[in-house]
Amino acid sequence: MIVFENVTKKFPLGNVALENVSFSVEEGEFVFLVGPSGAGKTTILKLILREILPTSGSIFVNEMDVTDKNFSKILTLRRSIGVIFQDFKILYDKNVFENVALSLQVLEKYSSLEIEEEVKKVLSIVGLVNKEKVFPIQLSAGELQRVAIARAIIGERKIILADEPTGNLDPKTAWEIMKIFKKIEKAKTIIFATHNVDIVNSFQRRVLVLKNGKIVKDLRKGKYDF
Amino acid sequence: MRDFLISIKRSPFQSAASFLVLFFSLFLAFFLLFSLAFFEGILAYLETRPQIIAYFQPKTNENDIFKIRDELVNSGKVLSIKYTNQKEAFENYKKMNQDNPLLLEMVSPDILPPSLEIYAKKPIFLPQIAEYLKKQSGIDEVQFQKDILDRLLTLTSILRKVSFSFFGYLFLMTTVILVAISHFKLALKKEEIELLKLIGASFFYIRKPFLKEAVILAIFTSIFSFSFAILILFYFQPFLISYLQGIETLSVNFSSFIIKIWPINWFFLLIIFCLTLFFGVFISVFSTFLATNKYL
Repeated sequence: MIVFENVTKKFPLGNVALENVSFSVEEGEFVFLVGPSGAGKTTILKLILREILPTSGSIFVNEMDVTDKNFSKILTLRRSIGVIFQDFKILYDKNVFENVALSLQVLEKYSSLEIEEEVKKVLSIVGLVNKEKVFPIQLSAGELQRVAIARAIIGERKIILADEPTGNLDPKTAWEIMKIFKKIEKAKTIIFATHNVDIVNSFQRRVLVLKNGKIVKDLRKGKYDF
Repeated sequence: MRDFLISIKRSPFQSAASFLVLFFSLFLAFFLLFSLAFFEGILAYLETRPQIIAYFQPKTNENDIFKIRDELVNSGKVLSIKYTNQKEAFENYKKMNQDNPLLLEMVSPDILPPSLEIYAKKPIFLPQIAEYLKKQSGIDEVQFQKDILDRLLTLTSILRKVSFSFFGYLFLMTTVILVAISHFKLALKKEEIELLKLIGASFFYIRKPFLKEAVILAIFTSIFSFSFAILILFYFQPFLISYLQGIETLSVNFSSFIIKIWPINWFFLLIIFCLTLFFGVFISVFSTFLATNKYL
């Protein structure tokens, strides 16, 4: 489903974010990306989403070459991916419902009624029932992250990219967030970048360990080990 | 409409600036179109007046006059010719001076000259026709409105060029200012645009709310500027009435479509409104399109 072949990413000032990275992720897999800050976790997620392009190498998502310049293909790619950003990227002038609904509205194929139903369904999964009309300013960090997760998992987005979604949360809230991932993991392919040792160790899923832009370990049912 | 009102509420100064710039441009565009139509109408009106009147010596043989008339008709430069003999001239004279018996007593049909009233197909033929008539025997005097027509033609041509240049300038100025204002508005939405791009929104989807706002702004501004221009127009209507005294109607001919422009009527005003509305919507949408390009 996601294939990296000898991918290198160098930024204009010369720093190498990824060097000759190769790996593949199958459909329905849950993969933890772990490593110290600056190891290249976020770069991998940005490359999958085609927010940035690789300097060399190839990336395929759903058999589509991510480096393709055809804009309609980029749209198709991004519409199949749900992203949970480290900084949430919640729109503060829209309420919870509108923030989540945005993810379906951009697809331009759902009716208002369908969107309403889907949003309600997904809000119940993330535990935000009755918070539809609430504005982000009134929510806690944990609740904001739930909104971000709801926005990422709603609809037919099969790949979920989570960039340190528990990074800014207290341990209790972080575990509540992980429960949501547990609920959805069978239906989605999840790539989860994190620093959280406890979470990685308790989930026992595949772990890709990054160091200085290189994959140093690829462990099935792995533990946080670097 | 709700989004439009929210946008005004969120950035009132930018919205006011957009409104005022567009209002100014559309207001000027209204009067530019109006003046252009008016000048074209006056030109068309003058072209319907007898353009050349050739007065013959009173005792000129009618056959000689008809010969000249036929030659002019055969030249292909003449649209129509009307012959007025001495009797008809006297009847006309009587009609014109019916309130002045003294003038009527002094004149008899014998002293009034027969004449040919000539309408040229194109104004450029007028000097050639006049020159031809002057060379003919029996001609006493040739009157034609070359000077007036020439001046009006020049004036209309200048006005047309000035209008197009001014329209161009107006378009450029308004576009640049609206793009600058839109950039301010878009900067407030920068994060939302970034997010939309990352979750797979098409460029059209991202642009749509801004374009909608641009269209609504243009419609509102067009209505306001048109209403204001109409008030001014009706305020100055008495002046126009006295200025155009004696002219019953003025109209402009667009291929086979004739638009009556004087007396001022709602159909003509509606056409100008539609043109300014189109100009407003186009400029507003174009500016927004340019401004959003920076963020896509």
